[in-house]
Amino acid sequence: MLVSLITADDPAICNRSLAKACEPMDAITLLAECRELDAFRREAENLYHRVRAIFFLQAIHRFHLPEKLPTEASGSIPFEGYQDLLARHFEEAIDTFLEIQEKDGPSDGISSALAAAYHQLAFQTLANQVRRSVRTVRGNQWMFRMGHPTDHPLRIRPELLQQDEHLFPVICERTPVRMDLTHSAWSDIFFLGMDFPQGARVVNVSVDLAVHGRDSKPRPPVEAYLRIIDQPVLRLTSIDLKASAEITALADVFDFAKDYLGLLKAAVIASGIVPPGIEGSGKSLAALLARIAGPGRGIEIISSVNDIPKGSRLAVSTNLLAALISACMRATGQTQSLTGELTESERRLVLARAILGEWIGGSGGGWQDSGGVWPGIKLIEGEIAAEADPENGISKGRLMPKHKVFDTTEIPNSARQALTDSLILVHGGMAQNVGPILEMVTEKYLLRSSAEWQARQDALDLLDQIVDALSKGDIRTLGRLTTENFRGPLQTIIPWATNHFTETLITRVSEKFGDDFWGFWMLGGMSGGGMGFIVDPSRKQEALNIIHDIMLQTKRELENALPFAMDPVVYDFGINPHGTFGELHRGEVALLPPAYYHLSLGDALRTPPADLSATASAELDQFARACRTDPAFSSSVEALFDTLIPRTEEDANEDRSLDELLKKNGFDRAQHEQIRKDLVGGRIGLAQNRLPANTTIKDVRAEDITDFTTSTPNSENLVLGEKALQNGEVGVISLAAGAGSRWTQGAGVCKALHPFVRLKGRHRTFVETHLAKSRKRGSQAGTSITHLFTTSYLTHQPTRDFLDTVANYNYPGPLYLSPGRSVGQRMIPTVRDLRFAWEEMPQQVLDEQQQKMRESVRTALIGWARGAGEASDYTDNLPLQCLHPVGHFYEVPNLLLNGTLAGLLTERPQLKTLMLHNIDTLGADVDPGLLGHHLASKAGLTFEVITRRLEDRGGGLASINGRPRLLEGLAMPREEDEFALSYYNSMTTWIDVDKLLDLFCLTHHDILSRDQDKITQAIRAVASRLPTYITLKEVKKRWGHGQEDVFPVTQFEKLWGDLTTLPEIDSRFIVVPRSRGQQLKDPAQLDAWLRDGSAKHIESICEW
Amino acid sequence: MTPRPLRLVIRPKLFRITEVSMKIRKAVIAAAGPQQQHLPLQTLVSPSGETKTVAAFQLDEIFASGIESAAIVIAPGTERDFSSAIADHLDKVTFIEQSEPLGYGHAVLCAKEFTGDDRFLVTMIDHLDLSFAEDSCLKQFLSIAEQTSGPVSVVQPTHESKLHLYGTIGGSRVGGHENLYEVSNIIEKPNPTVAEQELIVPGLRSGNYLCFFGVHVLTPGVMELLEEAFSSDVKKLPLTSSLAAATRSEKYLACEIKGLRFNIEEPYGLLRAQLGMALSGENRDEVMGSVIELITATRR
Repeated sequence: MLVSLITADDPAICNRSLAKACEPMDAITLLAECRELDAFRREAENLYHRVRAIFFLQAIHRFHLPEKLPTEASGSIPFEGYQDLLARHFEEAIDTFLEIQEKDGPSDGISSALAAAYHQLAFQTLANQVRRSVRTVRGNQWMFRMGHPTDHPLRIRPELLQQDEHLFPVICERTPVRMDLTHSAWSDIFFLGMDFPQGARVVNVSVDLAVHGRDSKPRPPVEAYLRIIDQPVLRLTSIDLKASAEITALADVFDFAKDYLGLLKAAVIASGIVPPGIEGSGKSLAALLARIAGPGRGIEIISSVNDIPKGSRLAVSTNLLAALISACMRATGQTQSLTGELTESERRLVLARAILGEWIGGSGGGWQDSGGVWPGIKLIEGEIAAEADPENGISKGRLMPKHKVFDTTEIPNSARQALTDSLILVHGGMAQNVGPILEMVTEKYLLRSSAEWQARQDALDLLDQIVDALSKGDIRTLGRLTTENFRGPLQTIIPWATNHFTETLITRVSEKFGDDFWGFWMLGGMSGGGMGFIVDPSRKQEALNIIHDIMLQTKRELENALPFAMDPVVYDFGINPHGTFGELHRGEVALLPPAYYHLSLGDALRTPPADLSATASAELDQFARACRTDPAFSSSVEALFDTLIPRTEEDANEDRSLDELLKKNGFDRAQHEQIRKDLVGGRIGLAQNRLPANTTIKDVRAEDITDFTTSTPNSENLVLGEKALQNGEVGVISLAAGAGSRWTQGAGVCKALHPFVRLKGRHRTFVETHLAKSRKRGSQAGTSITHLFTTSYLTHQPTRDFLDTVANYNYPGPLYLSPGRSVGQRMIPTVRDLRFAWEEMPQQVLDEQQQKMRESVRTALIGWARGAGEASDYTDNLPLQCLHPVGHFYEVPNLLLNGTLAGLLTERPQLKTLMLHNIDTLGADVDPGLLGHHLASKAGLTFEVITRRLEDRGGGLASINGRPRLLEGLAMPREEDEFALSYYNSMTTWIDVDKLLDLFCLTHHDILSRDQDKITQAIRAVASRLPTYITLKEVKKRWGHGQEDVFPVTQFEKLWGDLTTLPEIDSRFIVVPRSRGQQLKDPAQLDAWLRDGSAKHIESICEW
Repeated sequence: MTPRPLRLVIRPKLFRITEVSMKIRKAVIAAAGPQQQHLPLQTLVSPSGETKTVAAFQLDEIFASGIESAAIVIAPGTERDFSSAIADHLDKVTFIEQSEPLGYGHAVLCAKEFTGDDRFLVTMIDHLDLSFAEDSCLKQFLSIAEQTSGPVSVVQPTHESKLHLYGTIGGSRVGGHENLYEVSNIIEKPNPTVAEQELIVPGLRSGNYLCFFGVHVLTPGVMELLEEAFSSDVKKLPLTSSLAAATRSEKYLACEIKGLRFNIEEPYGLLRAQLGMALSGENRDEVMGSVIELITATRR
């Protein structure tokens, strides 16, 4: 029956939502449907039928089947299938999982594995098709056939080979960026455009930019320069990234991550100068260059985006790629004209090549991104594939859209001016990854979820209204429509299109400007970076500064909670009437941007004049002349001086502040040096984290656990728990000391303060959500619960400030922060550990191009580790980013050490139990039944575990040499052992305070009297019995204008779960429902979390 | 013997079927280019062992294929050299001086008076053919061209890496004829980026295009197009752009023939031409032996 949703021609059937169709089906029917869908997708010849069936299967296994299975059966996931999944052998993985499902019956675990495998298979199938289509675009095909320099068909245009006073002429390509009025709900994603061409519609505007207050006037922000040089090399320079390289080997052209020049290399390849077909041929780059430019000659290419910050949502990098490709195509005679605008067919080819370039570089958004190549305001629409198209029979639409540029009769100049007079274009400063959003959009489109499908239709209607308003110059209406688009279709499909920062800005701007604020305009894939505010033109000048101030103030308030890459900026802009535009500069005016000379002339200046080549001398003369006569070069001498004599004072300051921080946070230098010594000596490291290979690891027996997924705590225990609650005998510890590395990819903000989701109409932080649960349980018990957040050097002050700002969210009970008392200093990883992590541990193999990119990055990182010194201190970052927390084991001892427990016991001497949980375990609350069970069991520690899904990696509950305990993933001697374990550690722990103190050989008196020495000794004694794990974490280094690099660094930690190895304390284990125990580790999980009912569950246990 | 007229079964909308042969009697030979002034005077040994100049080879073949008179467009001051090189054919040859080097198109235009209202053969003095059929390349070509009324060019499938050397056509195969094409577009020395978009000919191997062989039969209409394109400020009048214009005004055909063509201007062009002739002639074994001996002796 579900197959008919895919194959039907009738839109009423084929656009029906999968969720609706699954609603009435029971588990048996759903499994039968899955069998039918799986058989169908294996046979289906039509690409989109196949992909839709795969997405259906994924959704059924992720969302619909698990909730209908009789119990949360803990089926095991076969390791063999998991390995296939990592190696991208999706079909084999699916077969293995299906076999197990057939043999052991359906289960939550096996469904999670199938969902993951189908999900990846679907995207792989789609990506492969886009790639095939990119290759088959006419004009691109030959580049994949050419494999030898002597076959190279391109020649540099003769005009570029004629030297003038020893200088070769320079092509300068200037390209605007694109600002999208609407993308009709991301409809330009290739997959959507190719399946639903009639719904793929975008209106975007080519704009020139200036940073308000910094630049004098708007100009095309993207520039590419190309000239011939008299050396047989490819010389590439990115002015903004301050990176330059002379490439002499063909293989290095294809090594994208070796330096910051990946985009320039992609352009060189996609433009056909070094065609993709020649990769791996082992031929000489000099021979290839000789063929196209003449013997002994090479090509120099320079890129500049005039310091426009990254993440502007204006497709700066795609338009830069397009500008570079245009310049390369002009130089090699692939365009009719060396200068001026491009013809329509040339623009289309540039678009096709930019898509190719993005694919080669392992990235890629949608087809509207190259919009800056076209002039003015245009409507870009998908096209239905015709018989002669390579897409025919495969997809409904073509890969490439068609562009209709509006002329001044359709959108008069007055309307264009009105838009310019009302729009404030900004970059909010947030750093975000749009990639997951594009995947979510694709998946939701293919599932035709009803609200989202309707939203897509609404977005298309809005496009027509937007064009109508624009053509009338009715900018007030335009503002209303862009707001409606943002509030309606965009957020219906992707709630994550907005965030707390954006909402706060809109509220504040709206409060400030009242009726003169005409609307909000989201740019690109999501808000927070590039955005637009539309105001009454009479207030625009004033608004430029006010909105800047509002953004800056809001950023200051939220910068510890949300990842910002930079301070917000406001742009001045103008509509560009040309699209990409080429100029040829000769002789005296054959100049490159001043910043290029600052980067490149250092070497020439250090060389004695007699040793300089004629070209180098001529270039120096030319630069000197420009410095005297050209105002653009007026500050060049100083800038050049700065690059020749680097400043050192700042670095010294940073070192001092790192030392101070270490001292302040209880850094143990002796321990640090010991760890370094052990690391260098190979005594500790990733490989040494593991238990001995002969350890017997088995799944726990039924008697080792108490299962609360199939039964509820008995009524006696419930009463016991309720009573303890009423008496104020229980407190909650939320672990909020970590930076949430996975949450923000090492951005160093406080995860606890992240307003991660809208619940009950507002964005809520993790802190607020946890307090809301305690508030509810407290009020149910007629009391208030003590709630405590552990913090660290990184999170303490921001958390303190934040809670002050929000007045503790009016939490009625005692609220404590427990600051960390131990810290480590990050180190440069050893090559041995890097290799172990990348080669010995199971890795998700990426898609072909992305995998190449990853390998290239890894080679570069190994070079970095060697160069920077293995196991030396990591100091090349902000001081706070050089420190690390030392593992959550220490967080409870810190309570003892920093006096928090003493305070708690003083305030509530009756306190007997603490419930400890991770900041991202949103379902954990003081459940009286579970509390009663813990109390009745008289356990020292009761750990909550959940049944395992594929994504629950990193250890679990195991029987080790016959004894049940929690085993960290780091300590697993063999990867496959983890797959034999049915339960995953949720980290939530019920702690008997007295028994914990017994473990430390401490008493209430020791705590209350704050006997620091005794407490310190006690903690050291317990800690020394726990293993020290070496881990690699990712840390972000921010630089330039919104640029970010991610480095792996070494740190160590001791983990809470290892307390279960100590026989002196009685550890018990209970299995709790997934809704209580699951964790939110990655923002990419949020969408599914919202869809599978988890968010609703959290709302039900909160009182705001 | 006059060849029997070929009866071509071609769709009427493509071009007129002719019962009567439209005999081509005149030839225009371009010989004014800087290289064309000296290389054609070089001597080569024919497949039958006869030694003669490149120019004489050309003229022999032209007149043997049925052409009755030829105009050789030369640079000023070169008539004497050419006269001595083609002494046997002087009675059928007219020399026309191209006063300035204004391009191939202009060289053809210089012969306008000579060609008058007739269709005519256009070739270059520095190109040599080697036929793989009984008839010479020119004869094969003329026997096809004489069945048509519009311009016709000889083309050969060429790999995309060589496109920068030739004029290249786009078009489609004429139904029922394996080697005959209706030309829809002509671009001089395109790169494959452009060629893939505009010059794809269905049925060719991928990466191959139809490039000019250097021999055409043109019409008075093409002469007019050349004349229109020429004005006093033109510095170069190429032939290809007028041929491209002709595709829009006349039924323009292209055909493949069985043979090879050597441009002796290319590096080693003369050597390749000589080897081609020698290896297809009576002394093939002897030449092969010499080549192998050379290869062995010069092995590094």
